Amino acid sequence: MLVIGEVHTGLLQNSGEISEPACRQVLGLMSGETVRVSRRPIVHALSPERLTGVDCALPAASGSRIRGVGTVVSRCAVTGGRVAQGSSYVRVARSETDRRLSWSHYLARPGVVEVLGKAKAADIAEGFAGDGAPRGHGCLDLTAITGRFLDLVQTSPLLNRRAPFRMPRTILRWVAETGEPSIGFTLHTEQERSLRLTHPGPFTPAVVDLCEDLAMHDWLLTSLLVVVERARVGATPAAEVAARLSPAVDHLLHLWMPAARVEERLTPFWESLERRPGFSRQWRSLVDRVRDQVAVHTLALLSANAETGGR
Amino acid sequence: MTPVHATFGEVAAERRIASVPLSHVSVELGHLYMEDFEAGPARLREQFRRVAPWLATIRSVWRERVPGGRARVSTCFLVDDYFSRFSTPAELVPMILEAAAEHDLTIDYLARESACAQFEDGRSGAVELARLVEDRLVDDPPPDTDGSRPPVKETGWLCNGSRSPLTTPLQAMGKARPWEPPTQNAKRGHSIFVDVELWDERGARRTWSCPFLAAVWQLLRLGLLRAEGRVPLPPVPLEGAWPGDWDRLPAVVRINPQAAPFSAYTTLSVLSPRFLPVELAVRTILSQVAVDDEVLRQVAARSESERVRLEEELVDRVSYVFT
Repeated sequence: MLVIGEVHTGLLQNSGEISEPACRQVLGLMSGETVRVSRRPIVHALSPERLTGVDCALPAASGSRIRGVGTVVSRCAVTGGRVAQGSSYVRVARSETDRRLSWSHYLARPGVVEVLGKAKAADIAEGFAGDGAPRGHGCLDLTAITGRFLDLVQTSPLLNRRAPFRMPRTILRWVAETGEPSIGFTLHTEQERSLRLTHPGPFTPAVVDLCEDLAMHDWLLTSLLVVVERARVGATPAAEVAARLSPAVDHLLHLWMPAARVEERLTPFWESLERRPGFSRQWRSLVDRVRDQVAVHTLALLSANAETGGR
Repeated sequence: MTPVHATFGEVAAERRIASVPLSHVSVELGHLYMEDFEAGPARLREQFRRVAPWLATIRSVWRERVPGGRARVSTCFLVDDYFSRFSTPAELVPMILEAAAEHDLTIDYLARESACAQFEDGRSGAVELARLVEDRLVDDPPPDTDGSRPPVKETGWLCNGSRSPLTTPLQAMGKARPWEPPTQNAKRGHSIFVDVELWDERGARRTWSCPFLAAVWQLLRLGLLRAEGRVPLPPVPLEGAWPGDWDRLPAVVRINPQAAPFSAYTTLSVLSPRFLPVELAVRTILSQVAVDDEVLRQVAARSESERVRLEEELVDRVSYVFT
């Protein structure tokens, strides 16, 4: 019917970026499973996937009670040794019966939640990712599940928990369906975003990669905006502005690699978001602003030095 | 110039899952505990006498089921060297093989139970199969499990439903709640609630329970386990004579060089009815093990290619004769 998922993105709770072997240890969430690492164009480490069993109501905009039984897939990722993500999703499918079956039935189709009884895909999609969707008690809580997995990484004893700056996690809720290609990205609150995706052909995990990639870049953009805002350019002395901007230079600016890990057939989705609203355009302008401020400050320092040297 | 299509790959970024050769059925001819050993060779002969007709039956069933009648049936025998160490391979194995031969049975593979917990040798490195399976347990969720809280776990236990709420008062003055029954999640009318102890710990030493190791044993025979993408504990032929120490014996020994593959689409165990409670526990565990998606697909594709219809749920691939 449809796939719903959630991606939580945050700054890794460590003073500096972590090495590739450390990524492997932090993300080793399951014995006997390897952490997958790609090094080009940016180091990206992905944990093995784990399942969580659920038997509960699914979100529904109409408020009708839709019961779903099955498993949620979750995984974590660390990009550039610096950005941590937790990601969960379920494929929602119709059940062939109206009653709950033995658990082994659901474990034979990992990552699928079967709907017992009637349900409309649009109702679930709107209930999950719509604005102000009422999320009742006892309804599938992907936020809690994803948050727990990200916590596993963030509380790893290998991390020193001294992040260079504080930045809240962002939550991206996404819904993917098969159909004519379209993409809709909405900012809700400071931390919440939603993504509606219609892709040609059946769902594949590449769609999850795309959502994670978008979530990471949205977080980078959000964080850089916050850092620049906190620097209070023009209202604070240049030296202080430069000092406040330096964490961005140290930890964020090199991480922008849009669509780096997105399957080729899905890159048009990224490209369309680049046209409107233009993620990279905004990023470049912010980066320029940061660099200009730092440059202005450096020039000021140089000329001050020259002056004192000339005396 | 026409656009150039570039491909780029990184081995560490890909997930490589080895495949395993598969028979149609793996028949467990017996499982030897110390008490059986102490009862002497007569107990073993009696076991093989009871098993022999069932092996013949299962062979003929699969010959009919497989197109062309080329059924691949392998036999195995498990020796408990985990809960108690007794005798030596040099002394014990020839006796087992001899008793089997008296009833025209060939034991293709001999396995050590301790290898289902953990095993280490130069060939395989260290493999902790029990930990690996424990990490793949996905608890059967009672109704209204929405993920908002972590699964309710009693450490070291696994059940098929919701346990009875605590009825004893926490404080001396508290009022005891009346007893409430536990419930089975997938009950049909009435519950059959099962709660299985997976392990216990004394100090730092963890002892896995017999049903848990038996569940690992079933998964190994079904060829559904992978460690770092590789097939764990592949059978190896014995080099030289049977050693005088269990630790010098490989985890799974291929005794018969002509044997069909050790792992199989399905398993059959011929057991005494006294093992019935153990096997109920094994099935409770197996129905909560999430096997790797890729491995499930490999096995499904293979069975389809040779037109063998396989049960979708893995507990349904495990069968027994209690005799």
